[in-house]
Amino acid sequence: MRRGRLSTQGRAAPVLLALVTLVVIAVLAAACGSSTSGGSSPSPSASAAVGVLPSPTPGSSITVVYHYPAPPKAVLAQFTALTGVKVNWVEVGWDNLQTKIAAAATSNTYFADLTDVDWSKVGQYYKTKWFTPLNQYFDVAALKTDMPQIDTFASNNQQLAMPFDSSFTVSTLNTKISKAAGVTATPTTLTGYTNALNQIKTKGTVPNPLDIPFAAAEGLSTYWYQTTAAFGGQVLDANYNPLFTQPSSPGYKALQWMVNAYKTGLVPKANIGVTDYQGFTSEMAQGRVASVFSDYAGTVGSVYNVPSTSKVVGQVQYVPTPGASGPAQNLANPDGIGIPVTAKNVAGALAFIKWFTDTQQQAVWAGLKGPSDVISGFPLPARVSSLQLLTGKVAGAAELTSLLKTSRAVFPGPGAPPWYSQFSNAVYTNIHQAAAGAETVQQAVTNIASQVTQLKAGS
Amino acid sequence: MSGESITAGRKRPRKRGRFLPYILLSPLVVFIGALALYPTIVTTVQAFFTVNPLNPPTRFAGLANFRALWHNPFVRQSAANTVLYIVVGVGLSTLFGLVIALVLQRRSHWRGIILALVVLPWALPAVVEAVIWGWIYDPTFGVLNSVLKSLGVINTYHVWVGIGRVVSIVLIELVQVWQITPLAALLILAALQSIPQELYEAARVDGAGRWEMFKRITLPLIRPGLAVAMVESLILTLNVFDQVYVLNGFAPGGASIMLQTYQISFNNLNFGQGYALSLLATFATMLLSLLILAVVYRRVEF
Repeated sequence: MRRGRLSTQGRAAPVLLALVTLVVIAVLAAACGSSTSGGSSPSPSASAAVGVLPSPTPGSSITVVYHYPAPPKAVLAQFTALTGVKVNWVEVGWDNLQTKIAAAATSNTYFADLTDVDWSKVGQYYKTKWFTPLNQYFDVAALKTDMPQIDTFASNNQQLAMPFDSSFTVSTLNTKISKAAGVTATPTTLTGYTNALNQIKTKGTVPNPLDIPFAAAEGLSTYWYQTTAAFGGQVLDANYNPLFTQPSSPGYKALQWMVNAYKTGLVPKANIGVTDYQGFTSEMAQGRVASVFSDYAGTVGSVYNVPSTSKVVGQVQYVPTPGASGPAQNLANPDGIGIPVTAKNVAGALAFIKWFTDTQQQAVWAGLKGPSDVISGFPLPARVSSLQLLTGKVAGAAELTSLLKTSRAVFPGPGAPPWYSQFSNAVYTNIHQAAAGAETVQQAVTNIASQVTQLKAGS
Repeated sequence: MSGESITAGRKRPRKRGRFLPYILLSPLVVFIGALALYPTIVTTVQAFFTVNPLNPPTRFAGLANFRALWHNPFVRQSAANTVLYIVVGVGLSTLFGLVIALVLQRRSHWRGIILALVVLPWALPAVVEAVIWGWIYDPTFGVLNSVLKSLGVINTYHVWVGIGRVVSIVLIELVQVWQITPLAALLILAALQSIPQELYEAARVDGAGRWEMFKRITLPLIRPGLAVAMVESLILTLNVFDQVYVLNGFAPGGASIMLQTYQISFNNLNFGQGYALSLLATFATMLLSLLILAVVYRRVEF
């Protein structure tokens, strides 16, 4: 009897322990999965008319998680003084930030009140409904003229973010190196551009004059899109069908041109592991290459003309992007700022977007009031009116203003497809493989097209 | 009355005593349950579901995720790459760990300093180490090219990581070996120090040389330590991620199974397949660990 009783009691304790454990785990799981939105914020429908924002609660705070460094504290304090909302700015690298956005959204967990919406993610976010549409808060149609890239953040007429900045691919040339090699006229066609690069290589001014970032990363995909645009086309049509499978197509020619440039030594062999950012800062800024075909707008001022990190100060200029028969269009790749659906302080977040994207403030981020107020690495203001304020104060502001007005989206019309990440993954993986000699250009094209077919079928 | 009160007085502390171990253990059990057991259960269950925010709703998929992984050439390539990472990583870390442990076993004034130096790579974050080794391997200004060229081994600077698959994997794995060897060395050292000196003295009396003593006494008696060190190395190499990501990005030539899991889960948002691949990696870890234990581990009693 005694042993039996003891035995029963002995089992009760572990069972009790197991039950307690399960309850705690269940509570933890429920806590992890619960939405933290709400609080004192008004519901999205609180605003009465387009452009009328709900008033933020004084004394509240917002968390901004972004891949740019925080604006200077003194400037953020101006926003707090204006609205009573305190800003906690958290800087997270771009790649990590995309993972955090996905992880937080899929677990329906509060992550930030404002965060990055990359142009390439808009289709995905439309489908996943991870971001609050902003159409009822901002008059998008009225802003279109002053913010030429605002459409980049719309999918199926839903405005999922406002432009954080403006950015587009441009071509840059080190004029000192090119002139030393006898290249006097700026090439405006791809043939002329290739000849000029070969001339620089032959003269030995720099042994490998062209920067193409061949690391298997997003920058390589972007380079292909821009090169395809330069050859007079685009990679996908409005229904997301591949336009690059025929050898005569611009996409095929662009891929062939890029791989040939690597194999013939126009591009440094080391670039097989170089990302776009490394290309700008390590290759071009150090004078090891003479040109970046698909550079980012703003790099002359923010990278090449910065004496502490550049050896080519005053040598690099924006040049018209060479195309098949003349200057090509430049592709837009701006960053947006949006409100996750799990945000706690929507009113505060909306007030911040309005303040951050204001004409004067956008110019301040790019240097209107001097270097002490800029956001480090900020490419260009999202507004034409802000760029006009900067004319004469920032390198190349006048040229960039006209380029901004004519830049076009990578996927004009429908915007980036929901499966863009997988598509880009296939693009950069196969182009990298083709450059590394692991597959031919034809195989790369076939593999990318096959992936598009699968993605379309699965979407 | 007095008898009853004595009995009651004895029972109360015994009851408290019975529950005390469970109360003391409960925080750990909750911790392990929440951070290991619960995710394992979720992963196992969700591996059989379509979990994809781009393709809602979540629904039962049977073995579809596993079939899709099997037909994915990048998954197959990353699995093959991971086998190479394991072979190089487990082999070299065990070999170097054994050598270092044998050196550390000798009594010397330098032992403490050597031990501290050996342990240093283990203490550094993997990302930091990968960045450091990235500079060493850099094709433009890396130390490796510079040293090899000055020694006359190469004529021109080479691109080490990113071109050849096997070379890339070996060089990336060397970075991890540098990090995990100290752990292997310490585990083997602990096993070495448990061997009674009398065995060596008896062997010396019998005329055994150093190689004979190593082969017939040391090696058989450190097999438990070797097995644990190899299993630890296996787990770490099978999960290699940081070094691959920093040194080779997403290039398929060097992609590991964990990098592929990350890609599938967070880039493609196909969490169902990500769960399935994680589950397969867990099973592979368990099976290979059991294989190592079966081949290497032997119970040792002194």
